[in-house]
Amino acid sequence: MPKKNFATALILATVLLVAGVATYVVLEQRGGDDENAVYYVVEAPSNMKGVLAANHIDGYIAWEPFVSDAVVDGVGKVIEWSGEIVPDHPCCVVAVYNSFASDSEGQDMSARFLKAHMTATDWINQAMDDSDSADYALLVDIAVEFTERNESVVEEALEHMKFHYAMDASFTTALENFTDMYMELGLIAEGKLADGGYSNVSDFIDKYIDGSYMAAAASIEPSETILNPDSPIRLGFLKGDIHQLAQAVGKSDAVLENGKSIFEEYGLNVENAIGAPFSNGGAVMDAFAGGYVDIGYLGSPPAILKHLNAEVRTSIVAQVNSEGSAIVVHADSGITSLSQLAGKTIAHPGTSSIQFLLLKAALQWEGLELKLKT
Amino acid sequence: MLSLVKLVKGAIALNWRQLLLGALSLAIFVSAWQMYSWYLNANVSGYAAYVPYPGEVAEAFVDSFVTPAGTDGLVMSDHIIASLKRIFMGFVIALSIAVPAGLLMGSYITAEGLGMPIVEIFRPIPPLAWIPLFLVVLGYLKGPAAIVFLGIFFPILFNVILGVKRVDPILIDAAKTLGSKKRHLFLKVVLPYTTPYLMTGIKVGLGIGWMCIVAAEMVGKYGGGVGFYIWDRSDIGQWDYVFAGIAMIAILGILTTGVASQVERRLYAWMGMK
Repeated sequence: MPKKNFATALILATVLLVAGVATYVVLEQRGGDDENAVYYVVEAPSNMKGVLAANHIDGYIAWEPFVSDAVVDGVGKVIEWSGEIVPDHPCCVVAVYNSFASDSEGQDMSARFLKAHMTATDWINQAMDDSDSADYALLVDIAVEFTERNESVVEEALEHMKFHYAMDASFTTALENFTDMYMELGLIAEGKLADGGYSNVSDFIDKYIDGSYMAAAASIEPSETILNPDSPIRLGFLKGDIHQLAQAVGKSDAVLENGKSIFEEYGLNVENAIGAPFSNGGAVMDAFAGGYVDIGYLGSPPAILKHLNAEVRTSIVAQVNSEGSAIVVHADSGITSLSQLAGKTIAHPGTSSIQFLLLKAALQWEGLELKLKT
Repeated sequence: MLSLVKLVKGAIALNWRQLLLGALSLAIFVSAWQMYSWYLNANVSGYAAYVPYPGEVAEAFVDSFVTPAGTDGLVMSDHIIASLKRIFMGFVIALSIAVPAGLLMGSYITAEGLGMPIVEIFRPIPPLAWIPLFLVVLGYLKGPAAIVFLGIFFPILFNVILGVKRVDPILIDAAKTLGSKKRHLFLKVVLPYTTPYLMTGIKVGLGIGWMCIVAAEMVGKYGGGVGFYIWDRSDIGQWDYVFAGIAMIAILGILTTGVASQVERRLYAWMGMK
């Protein structure tokens, strides 16, 4: 019996080890056998450079400054900017939680916030017009502090996006296209539009975009006093996302000559919401739902997805930026075009991100299919 | 024969009672859940959709096995296989190292003196704390497996050490008196005595392993997995499917522990233990 015990234990241990090694070998195999497939993993943008440098992926798509971070460090190179995939595509937006703006005080606060956002955006654009100016140097300083990246990375990143707030017809069309794409992918069920009280995609986007705050903001004047000293606006935004630089500029007390921040100039007490900065736009929408955020900066796709799927009742009240993302590959790789990504592994920030949509569309146009790496 | 029939009848009666109590417990839970969802919807809570009705979750649960996801084309069974692979890999490595290490550290003071300081440094660190580092350094496959390894390793190690230390000295003395050699003493006394402790360590470790793999798959989103599935569905706000994924983890956890219990029972029977 003891001999039998020992032999059985030995066989069991051997079987386990062989099975473990076999599983490891199978799992370790990278890529796949589909020559038209590009494989994806999901990764936080802040980790992408490190994961690329460690050779766990062949490339990634991310927003700035996580693109320029890899480029300036010599880790990666850009093979396609998002503006080359879809020119002038919208990216981040300002969203207001409907419950917050349900009374006249909330509506006034939202309009004042919009005024500050517009002022900050105008200041950014004016500063960027002259890279030798003191304002540009200040802008870079603010961006360095916000993104925790160095000056070279920030200056490079600023070159690749457009800051604006107007919501024109092309913006509306782009948001309709995003919604259509999600519905085609089955990520938004047909019934969700009706559940939300919308007759079709155009009706949804028409109602989701609310231009009334921007219209009201046009007549907002600076305020001598803080109008909401005891109930600050709780602001949601993404960690280090340079697209959302306007909110960092709005908070800075170095931009205006009177020493007040732009938010204070318009009578607003604004504080970071609990949990801010958030890792992605989906998390900002979750915080809206939880009642922790009043106004948020986030990508338009997660705003659309969670408004319809999770019934997070927000309104898009302004644009923040367009373009400003890119597909990055190893700096020393021979990859120079999208078609060469076949069989490679690319990281994206998540299904709810605009980067996922852009990557999927770009590959589709090249005849390639985006598949989860298994 | 009569007593055997009585015994079987008693067992059936006991099982029926347990089944009824179990069903009642589940019914209370599902009713409370249904009422909470209804309450959130009735009060137009901002996160009413985040707590879907049990019926919606059941529907999503079934659908997750049938309809491939629009993003990755996978169904729930693909994700289960992906998670099981990682759990298995972490488990095999943990078992391969923890059992011999535990036997050595429990048997020899020198081994314990050498090993325990290192173990005590790493044991209090939650395996999840290593996720960001492991994913970058070890990659998307070895990283999660290493996190599972850490989750399973320590419960097995400490239970084996405990088992060895608790071997009845009278048994050892008796074996020695009967002329047992060191190898036989180990195989006939120490190893069988330690087995129940090892099985306890395995069951506890597997429970922790599931927690670890789900968390690791939510951070390192590679190749699917139930953790990945939950994260991905929550990312797009499909909370009925998120709950379906959570339910799947509960089922997998119960099944895994159940299999371990069955192995334990058969092992004891085979070894002539109760």
